Amino acid sequence: MTRRMLTALIALVGLFLAAYLTLYKLGVIGTLACGTGSCETVQLSKWGTFLGLPVAAWGVGFYALVLTLGLVGMHERWEGSRGLLLAQVIVTGWGVLFSGWLTYLELGVIRAICRYCVASAALTITLFVLSWLEWRSQTIDDEAIADSR
Amino acid sequence: MKGQSGQPRKTGQKKPVATARKSNRPFFIIVGLLLIAGITALSYMATRPKGNVSLADTTLPPVPNTGHVIGSDSAPVEVVEFADFECPACGSFATLTEPDVRKRLVATGVVRYRFMDYPLSMHRNTWSAHRAAWCAGEQGKFWEMHDALFFNQDRWSGETTSRPMGVISDIARGVGVNMDQFSSCVDSRKFDPQIRANQQEAERRQVASTPTFLIGNKKVASAISYDEFKRHVDEAVAQARPASATKTR
Repeated sequence: MTRRMLTALIALVGLFLAAYLTLYKLGVIGTLACGTGSCETVQLSKWGTFLGLPVAAWGVGFYALVLTLGLVGMHERWEGSRGLLLAQVIVTGWGVLFSGWLTYLELGVIRAICRYCVASAALTITLFVLSWLEWRSQTIDDEAIADSR
Repeated sequence: MKGQSGQPRKTGQKKPVATARKSNRPFFIIVGLLLIAGITALSYMATRPKGNVSLADTTLPPVPNTGHVIGSDSAPVEVVEFADFECPACGSFATLTEPDVRKRLVATGVVRYRFMDYPLSMHRNTWSAHRAAWCAGEQGKFWEMHDALFFNQDRWSGETTSRPMGVISDIARGVGVNMDQFSSCVDSRKFDPQIRANQQEAERRQVASTPTFLIGNKKVASAISYDEFKRHVDEAVAQARPASATKTR
């Protein structure tokens, strides 16, 4: 299992997680109600929406993009593409920043923790770490090739 | 890119196609299994019965004649809503669905509608709103205040401010209450016992979330659509109809 495969698999898991939260937010799954659970508090707060879309829907887009980058990067033609890898590092890095902001809102503003949001943040950090390690590994390889010439 | 041996591959050097395909196979099998599992799980959750409807506890005495009521005394069905003014789902129901309920079911004499306070501890400004609604009610403006509080929920909720009374007072002024009387009423907290009693009634009936509606013999949780609301009301009307009248049809 290569890092890119792992990246694609984790992104796929995240995609389903974000899709679940999006469907919940839209009222398709479960009930739209204010209960005692913290997930409802977070999802139904005004921070549950970003630029007119549910935050979870942005998550769907994010994971779909990372999944696409991971799968394309596995293709022989793009395997050595530094541009593609850089895009993956930037996208996942942006994801980590966004997750950090959402976690701050949960802890500092909404004062409630949604376990699905925590799981998503953990997946995002893992995706960034994998992308960064792959980027570093490729940089070292490229330097070794340049030195051997 | 490292090869199988861990040594760097030369630029342009590619893995043999057969080897690459073979090594990718387990990955695509896992992807396929994940796709099937994920899509199945989401489809199941989206299509299963929502579980927001349960039978009301018939061993409990009827809901006491408290709260705020709108509609005819002779309406065949009374709907009781347990709601929290700071709950977004209650706000969604109040602003999107309740106008239709009032126009098509309450004004036509089918439903008598009772609002019962259920301030949840997770909402820090909700007690201020419930007090304000009762104090507006003292001046005959409960439903105007109810509507305005829900409509302007984002202006005074705990996510926006820790001092909601400024906005709530503006809302009260907008609905036309006497402000001296209103402020004195809110400061005195004289309706807290009634609000707490309604809250205890909700807890006695094991209301787990807001909004929750008692419609006939059913307890319906969540901000349901008008169509679903009407379906429950129709069933309750059919149940309320005397058996003798049903037989003559």
